[in-house]
Amino acid sequence: MSLVAPTARLIDAASGAVLGGPDLAAEVDRHAAAYAGFPPGVVFARSGTSVPAVLRYAGAWRAGRPVALLDPGLDPAVLADFVGRFCPAVVVGLAEGGAGATPGELPKRYRAVDDPTLGPVWVREGACADQPHPDLAVLLATSGSTGDPRFVRLSRAAVESNAAAVARALAVGPDEVAPTSLPLYYSFGMSVLNSHLAAGATVLVVDGGVLAREFWQAVAAHGATSLAGVPYNYEMLHRIRWSPAKYPSLRTLTQAGGRLRDELVLAFHEKITALGGRFHVMWGCTEASPRMSTLPADALPERVGSVGPALDGGSFTVLGPDGAETDRPGVVGELVYRGPNVMMGYAENAADLARGDELGGVLRTGDLGHLDGDGFVWLRGRLKRFGKVFGVRVNLHDIEELARDHGPVAAVSGPDRVVLYAEQITDDDARALAGRLSERLRLHRSGFDVRTVERLPQLPSGKIDYRSLEALG
Amino acid sequence: MSLTDRLRGVFVDALELPEGTDVENLNYRGIEQWDSLGHMTLVAAIEDEFDVQLDTEQVIDMSSFKVALDMLRGLGVDE
Repeated sequence: MSLVAPTARLIDAASGAVLGGPDLAAEVDRHAAAYAGFPPGVVFARSGTSVPAVLRYAGAWRAGRPVALLDPGLDPAVLADFVGRFCPAVVVGLAEGGAGATPGELPKRYRAVDDPTLGPVWVREGACADQPHPDLAVLLATSGSTGDPRFVRLSRAAVESNAAAVARALAVGPDEVAPTSLPLYYSFGMSVLNSHLAAGATVLVVDGGVLAREFWQAVAAHGATSLAGVPYNYEMLHRIRWSPAKYPSLRTLTQAGGRLRDELVLAFHEKITALGGRFHVMWGCTEASPRMSTLPADALPERVGSVGPALDGGSFTVLGPDGAETDRPGVVGELVYRGPNVMMGYAENAADLARGDELGGVLRTGDLGHLDGDGFVWLRGRLKRFGKVFGVRVNLHDIEELARDHGPVAAVSGPDRVVLYAEQITDDDARALAGRLSERLRLHRSGFDVRTVERLPQLPSGKIDYRSLEALG
Repeated sequence: MSLTDRLRGVFVDALELPEGTDVENLNYRGIEQWDSLGHMTLVAAIEDEFDVQLDTEQVIDMSSFKVALDMLRGLGVDE
């Protein structure tokens, strides 16, 4: 299977230009060929939401080079750290990015080249000693967190099988037109791109997101058929009383990236089914390339709260309290996913990129939940201390470390935000701390709710009583 | 206080803009603070300050300070 099927098309919303069929194939080939002149190794692709960014990605894939999709808004110091640790052969997309995004200074042992096809790039002087494993295809950062920066290693087979399984589950055919409502460096955004290109469908490349006039103009002008969103996108659309009725071409709404309130799942389900469309709740994680399950649209409203059964080729079990794995309905424990789309492992440095598959297709998700009699997954929260902010996973322990200088602190996961309790913090300091966390983690400050407490509650053991903090809501 | 000054104040507070920001020439996504979440905060703040309710199209159209100003005038908010 190729990443880009013969009927796939890219539409550039800004210019209206359409690139499809043999023209798209030729462009992908031209980009693939452009990588041939660089030393062997990994491609770092700063990827905004643009047609050139898609072509640089598809070209690297075609050329058989592992490609790391990177947020162009990454702090230059973080990018420099990544370059130093992972030794990419080339960094492309240097001109990508919106407000104030800059790649920073030319790293040592790299030279700046203006490539006629790829644009401005940094090319390494000579090959890196550590060369990536031949199965490796895509690298994604686990989160925007600077506290825990590492890559998820995805094989070619994993990405391809997941793109195909998603396309089957959502019945994506050549007639579908998906707008890029999510960033390409975010696993859900990449999944929308991959599943549509592989199914020979159209990807409408439009920057700006669901609150931008250009986005909806493009949806209307190019007859977009689907919309993908994380919970906060749907929260925003709900808040502004958006209705799909104005966009009759829209048939499919998909949601992943964290739990959306049941009330909103049902509200959007009703709105879109009234128009003959469908709403799909899905579950995944970057470590699964990324999709694991999809709730069939006809399971709503009865099974609201479930994320559905495993995708084609995958399966779930539960690691019960006795430590035994079971697929028995009703047993609560850590969900374990098996499938061809499970990552090869993590990478902290260039040497890790050379490693082969370390998981054997088995992924402990770190999520608690149970299966029902039909194999549908019902989630009950995280096993470990992670929170999700706007669909991005953050390590609560890392957040506490970043806030340590304010004395005793405790972070808990709220609905799409992190609530940080700090003992006797002033309002001004709380605001400044939220701002600092927002900057360090590159997530909007409204995702960090810093509150004061007299004393952090403790368990008899002397450990922080997170349960009672969570209960404060 | 004039409408322009009041709206400027709302922008500064809602988006937590640093002192000296050229508020009147701001565009949506033109600065880091005015992203989608900043936009929602801003919409709520405008609705509070001017006692108006913005509809879907107005929220999506509000792509700059100037557009917001014209929109409030259109809604009959006093200068």
